[in-house]
Amino acid sequence: MKRVVIGILGTSLDRGVSPERWEKWRPTVSLFQHEDFLIDRLELLHEAAFQDLAECVAADIRQVSPETEVRRHEIRFGRDAWDLADVYGALHDWARAYPFDRRHEDYLIHITTGTHIAQISLFLLNESGFLPGRLIQSAPPRGGTLGGAKGPGRHSIIDLDLSKYDALSTRFAKDREDASGFLKSGIPTRSEAFNRLIDRIEQVALRSKAPILLTGPTGAGKSQLARRIYELRHQRGGLDGEIVEVNCATLRGDTAASALFGHRRGAFTGAQADRPGLLREAHKGLLFLDEIGELGLDEQAMLLRALEDKTFLPVGSDKPVKSDFQLIAGTNRDLRAAVAEGRFREDLLARIQLWTFSLPALRDRREDLEPNLDYELRRFAETEGRQISFNKEAREAFLCFAEADDTPWHGNFRDFNAAIVRMGTLAPRGRIRSGEVDEEMARLRESWKRPGETSRPESGLERYLSESQIDELDEFDQVQLAHVVSVCRECRSLSDAGRRLFSASRKKRATANDADRLRKYLARWGLEYQNLGG
Amino acid sequence: MKTLQLDGSEGGGQMLRSALTLALVTSKPFRMTHIRGQRRKPGLMRQHLTCVHAAREISGGSADGAEIGSNELVFHAGTIKPGDYRFAIGTAGSTGLLLQTLLPALAMADKPSTLHLSGGTHNPLAPPFDFLERIHQTALQRMGFHAAPQLRQHGFAPAGGGEITCAITPSGRLAPLDLTDRGNHESTRIRIPFRNLSADIAKRMLQAALKILPCEDARIDQLPDGPGQGVACLIECGFTNTRAMSCAFGEMGVSAEKVGHRAARMMDGFLTSNAAVDLHLADQLLLPMALAGGGRFTTVNPDDHVTTNIRVIETFLPVKFEVKTSGNGVHEISCDPV
Repeated sequence: MKRVVIGILGTSLDRGVSPERWEKWRPTVSLFQHEDFLIDRLELLHEAAFQDLAECVAADIRQVSPETEVRRHEIRFGRDAWDLADVYGALHDWARAYPFDRRHEDYLIHITTGTHIAQISLFLLNESGFLPGRLIQSAPPRGGTLGGAKGPGRHSIIDLDLSKYDALSTRFAKDREDASGFLKSGIPTRSEAFNRLIDRIEQVALRSKAPILLTGPTGAGKSQLARRIYELRHQRGGLDGEIVEVNCATLRGDTAASALFGHRRGAFTGAQADRPGLLREAHKGLLFLDEIGELGLDEQAMLLRALEDKTFLPVGSDKPVKSDFQLIAGTNRDLRAAVAEGRFREDLLARIQLWTFSLPALRDRREDLEPNLDYELRRFAETEGRQISFNKEAREAFLCFAEADDTPWHGNFRDFNAAIVRMGTLAPRGRIRSGEVDEEMARLRESWKRPGETSRPESGLERYLSESQIDELDEFDQVQLAHVVSVCRECRSLSDAGRRLFSASRKKRATANDADRLRKYLARWGLEYQNLGG
Repeated sequence: MKTLQLDGSEGGGQMLRSALTLALVTSKPFRMTHIRGQRRKPGLMRQHLTCVHAAREISGGSADGAEIGSNELVFHAGTIKPGDYRFAIGTAGSTGLLLQTLLPALAMADKPSTLHLSGGTHNPLAPPFDFLERIHQTALQRMGFHAAPQLRQHGFAPAGGGEITCAITPSGRLAPLDLTDRGNHESTRIRIPFRNLSADIAKRMLQAALKILPCEDARIDQLPDGPGQGVACLIECGFTNTRAMSCAFGEMGVSAEKVGHRAARMMDGFLTSNAAVDLHLADQLLLPMALAGGGRFTTVNPDDHVTTNIRVIETFLPVKFEVKTSGNGVHEISCDPV
């Protein structure tokens, strides 16, 4: 592996033609005077005006480092050596034309010489991979700045590939963890699928300005997540503006366009003053359009243009207005179906679904209920200004209910949050007891009932037992009892029903009192044959 | 052939150079571990690497681990090929040390060779060219080595740029060395070569040296324009049977007088002893003496260099060294075939 240094001639630091030049530290020359550091080739970049100096430096290097091949390259930094575009451009051109051979050569970019602009350009070119390799920095010998150099000074090699530094990797991992934790509002969620999803959203949120589409049932936390993404990007310097949230379902009729895109005074009846519109308000910030599927087709077309051109026309105006915002759209509908039905523009969908993240329903994240319970308790304390907590049994009962497979959580986090708020509000001295939990469970069950839908399939027992009695039956017993009751209703007598229900065991036994056996069974549930009305 | 194992942890660059010379002469391969083990920057430095490359080139041998910083080297010498060679040493490294490494080997060949070496010729911590030409070479000649080193260009550290050539003719039968008695002190001469510096510095250096060692044959030599700048104080004493030289180099932040004093006091110390060979030459005579089949000389208190060098030589050659005190700080080093 050959070691190749690429460096810019230091027009002041490398200067010197008198014999005394050997007594001072010259970064480019000194780099070749280290007894333990051998460089096979130098690519020395300089402007045409400094050819004499470059030749002197090259000759000096050949003298102290006969092992090294020195190549000079004239480079034009343009009119102004302090103009980043000119200098970067010149170095970029040079780098692109240079035949890098990374398999056989190890490149070191010497950044000690050259103007600061040139050094910045070298950094940038190295970081972006146009100048592959590592940076090398040199420094004068300690105590040798005056009255002659003692030795060739020091040098250190810097690899800008930060992933190669263990300490930094841990730091980044910590940052990423912090960012993911931030997106999860600090809730230590346990659902692996959800955590993976959040990690991915974190990566995208920090790296991309492209629109993000959040799908998922209502109450799954789309708005909350959009707000956290905004705050994360705002903190990390990605977004300077504000977050503007709007639910498209509320934008109906004539005022929809004007609310979004603004209008000019007098654009329509009632337009008494200029209105900037939500897109303008979101300039340099983030626009969260929830339920984007509810947006009208005209507004969809205008939004698409605003996304593509970063300009749009306010209602009644022929002067385009600029707004550069990041869009996060939310939907609980299948937008592909909406496209098929002609209610949603296909081109807009294509534009916003580059990054689509599907937030799971609460019932699909049951393992996250407990951490979310703690979060909701904290949140209650913050908003209501008083602490609430569960009794041990009450907490267990509520979690058991909440995590049960047949608890549907139709309204997802909205329901969950409401349940905590209600229990917290009703709890005496902030202590939630089994009573509050029982009451809340009944309330939730009731709220999840839909018209025409019963809480459980008809079993035929409803006529004889109260709802709470049925609730106390195990499913095992319910099915059995329902069948027994239906047989009793079909038979003319208790004995008749008994014979039918115990027909198999009758054949094996000499004597039997099936009627008595049936009577006792019914009595366990407080039922009598006479009352079954067969 | 069995590879000789050498532990370099006690030695420095000289131990490596001796091993290279001996490998060239004897064709015995060696493995050296912990090269320059106790130095601040251990392992092979650029000037050592140049020595390894040169030794490999003049013998068509092979070197494993010949890399900067390497602390292990396996060297197989081939057959010495006399000829015309050019070697350039980086970081103004000493041309003299490289010459001492290659000379005994090329002298054993059946045809003459010429070496053109560039780098430093007047470096601190290495024999200056004048020492090679007037002291080292004179001693070698007594044993039967024939070499004619010539200085083409002075090269001071850190600029380097110096050049020497050396014609080496095959030595005939070598004769054992006997330098136990230096004889009478017959002459003293002082030379102050300087370049690209004020003549005043050289004059002050000379005056300071003369205060301690007054002599007639003393002058400053302004060198023609050339690479870098530098000044050295070289003091040579002639004895009936041998010569000795002390030297000191001008350096930034050290007064000219101090440099002159330093060289003069060194020589003065040697004069008060009764030894025939000074410490620097002693170290450099061990190997040629062993090649010549033995001999003896007196010197001042030998240092670690001498001890490690002896160990390396005894590893390669069937000889036995002995170091005896003979009073007044004088030691006699003898070498005999086993």
